[in-house]
Amino acid sequence: MAVALELDGVSKSFGDFQAVQDLSLRVEQGSVHGFLGPNGAGKTTSLRMILGMLLPDAGRISVLGSSSALAVRNRVGYLPEEKGLYRKMTAADVIAYFAMLKGLGRSEARRRARALLGRYGLGAFADSKIETLSKGMGQKVQVLSSIAHEPELVIFDEPFSGLDPVNQQVLEEIVQDLRARGATLLFSTHVMAHAERLCDRLSIVGGGRGLFEGSVSEARRLLPVRIGLETSDPSADPGPLPGVVRREPLGSGRWNLELGPGADPSVILEACFERALRLRRFEVHETDLHDVFVHLVGPAAREASMR
Amino acid sequence: MRPALLIAVREFLGNARTRGFWFGILMVPLLWVIASQVPLWLARKGTPTRHFALVDATRSGRSAGVILGHLRRVEERRESMHFREWAAPRLQPGRSLPASDGAQAPWRELQSRVAESMRADAGAFAPPEPLHRPVVLPAGLEWRGDLAEFEGRLRDWLREERPCAPEGGGEPVVLFGAAIVLDGEGPGEPPVLRFWSANQADTRLRDAMAEALSRDHRQVEYTRRGLDPAIVAQVEAAGARVVDLNPRKAAGEERVGLADLLRQWAPSAFVYLLWIAVFAVSQMLLNSLIEERSNRILEVLVSSVTPLQLMVGKLLGVAAVGAVMTLAWIGSLVLVTVWMVGASGVAAVAPDSAVARLPVELATLLADSWILPAFALYFVLGYLFYSAVILALGSTCSDLKEAQNFTGVIALFMMVPLVSITFIPRDPNGPVATLLSWIPPYTPFVMMNRVAAGPPMVDVLGTLALLVVSDVLVLWACARVFRRAVLRTGQPASLVQLARWIAGRG
Repeated sequence: MAVALELDGVSKSFGDFQAVQDLSLRVEQGSVHGFLGPNGAGKTTSLRMILGMLLPDAGRISVLGSSSALAVRNRVGYLPEEKGLYRKMTAADVIAYFAMLKGLGRSEARRRARALLGRYGLGAFADSKIETLSKGMGQKVQVLSSIAHEPELVIFDEPFSGLDPVNQQVLEEIVQDLRARGATLLFSTHVMAHAERLCDRLSIVGGGRGLFEGSVSEARRLLPVRIGLETSDPSADPGPLPGVVRREPLGSGRWNLELGPGADPSVILEACFERALRLRRFEVHETDLHDVFVHLVGPAAREASMR
Repeated sequence: MRPALLIAVREFLGNARTRGFWFGILMVPLLWVIASQVPLWLARKGTPTRHFALVDATRSGRSAGVILGHLRRVEERRESMHFREWAAPRLQPGRSLPASDGAQAPWRELQSRVAESMRADAGAFAPPEPLHRPVVLPAGLEWRGDLAEFEGRLRDWLREERPCAPEGGGEPVVLFGAAIVLDGEGPGEPPVLRFWSANQADTRLRDAMAEALSRDHRQVEYTRRGLDPAIVAQVEAAGARVVDLNPRKAAGEERVGLADLLRQWAPSAFVYLLWIAVFAVSQMLLNSLIEERSNRILEVLVSSVTPLQLMVGKLLGVAAVGAVMTLAWIGSLVLVTVWMVGASGVAAVAPDSAVARLPVELATLLADSWILPAFALYFVLGYLFYSAVILALGSTCSDLKEAQNFTGVIALFMMVPLVSITFIPRDPNGPVATLLSWIPPYTPFVMMNRVAAGPPMVDVLGTLALLVVSDVLVLWACARVFRRAVLRTGQPASLVQLARWIAGRG
């Protein structure tokens, strides 16, 4: 599959502080790629380097086949982490203005601005000044202003922060529409639920380094499936079970079982019944992205928060 | 270039849609009207009638008559002047008022002379309230021959603001002041005027009384010494006739007129405009940049355009705001002047007077002289210098408070040309003016002020070239700072950091 964005061994430091170190990343064309990491992991610095706002100290960046995003800036859309718009301009004017800066003609930019506002529930506010809109509405306007020129590559930095659940839903809809249009989307977040729902692939960074790159299911496979088991007999020991690689007693008849790759929980349950264990609880913990994230970046995040 | 133009247009519209822009445009003509009309209005309407008590304690007893007679003549002249101002714009086309003879006929006499020249809808003239009016000395404030005793009672009366009846009837009034006229200390000595008033700021009544007594005393003395007062008055009225000539003018046209005075002083007015424009526009630029920076709009902008395009766009957009603003100021100043001269009706009274010719001379000056082109040139060059510096410094600050630390210093720096506005026209080619004009940030203001005096061509071209080179260097250095600072967060950059950025390091 064609690659829309590629980083190869990219590093960036500010004085003595190493913000990004030897980071590599591949974003396939038409995919939704999550860029995950705790605060201070170097996500925003990496995105700024991708956009050409900062120059890397080392490494190579390729954006839509170009070595500089500046050369293809009209094919790229960007939503920064900290949101802000011209307070005195109307919603439609703001969207049209940024679309024109990206090369669209005036009338086409205006037409698309109104169409987008209508499509995502802000049609009635097209002529309202930004200062009269709620924070969530303003954020939606900013998201729309970053995609009105129909970019091939869209980069969102923490797009969900500050949005209520309803507006988060609208933003997910926007992401799905971008995917349907064939655009490539790279977005940073530290909310795992969004990444899990939306991303085809993801990269996890911590302490400025790349820690993982792959699909969501590949990420999940980084950690074993666990089963929480509780018997009514505190002294009962389930003994070795099929597919269980580790058995950890928690006391009072409670056990934590760690499954090996390919192990089937239903076979384990069947084995429990065969051994006449009087089960009070049998709970399968599927590994989610949150567990993987904490497992991967926990030490780095703690280190960053201490800095 | 298109992104820079788009930014410029947004910048222009963003500013033009603010209340501050329209307030700024209206401020200058409004101040002009206020500065020229309010003192006149206050002179006519603003001062209430001053009521006074008058005690003539001289042996001859003629001083009260002298003072009251003089005040009456002053009042008649004032009424007559008001009548002329009222009547001038109400005359029928082609009619004019009789020339003023200095002595001024009473307004009723003047009215009867021009009655047939007035328009049918002219209405009736209402004379102004008198400036000064005597009161009848009330019971308890009679003169009993003892000055100290009288002044004791008078002081209490004035301090307690007790009412008195004005002469000729009317509501009781509070005294503004009281005057006691005493004989001079020896024979031939002028009389003494003891003037009591709690208001020491308005001295017009006291001065008028003193003038009346002094004049009368001089008349008496001329007569006593065998001089004819009429001849003395004639001699005193004579004075040297001054003819101003300028050697720079063409042969036969050396005489200095209103147009020459305008040419001499108009540049100073334009320096004020230039200063206000550069200062106001630079502030606009800073506010807009800080808004974009604190709102994080800059980050989106620099993902869409290069920092240089952004900087050029902002400079162009705000320059257009400044250009529109200053053009509106100049236009409105001319229009307001024309309106004020027209409303005064001076053209009907004295069509050849300097005031009546002012609009024409002003229009000629603006159309035919170098003032507007020089203003435009120095506005652009001065604006580029200051705005580039402000833009670069502003790009290193995250909020207006931080930025104001820098702009305070720049404002102080800019005070020098403001202070120089008045002294440069008096010595336009002197060492101070010459030195200041070779300092690029001061060149636009100082040279604009000097050009009326025809400075040496080496100064004109040399300072211009130096200013252009300085602008290019400043823009280059500021673009380097802007490019690096625009996305920076945290503390403002130090001077060392700025120097490193300009040098291309860091």
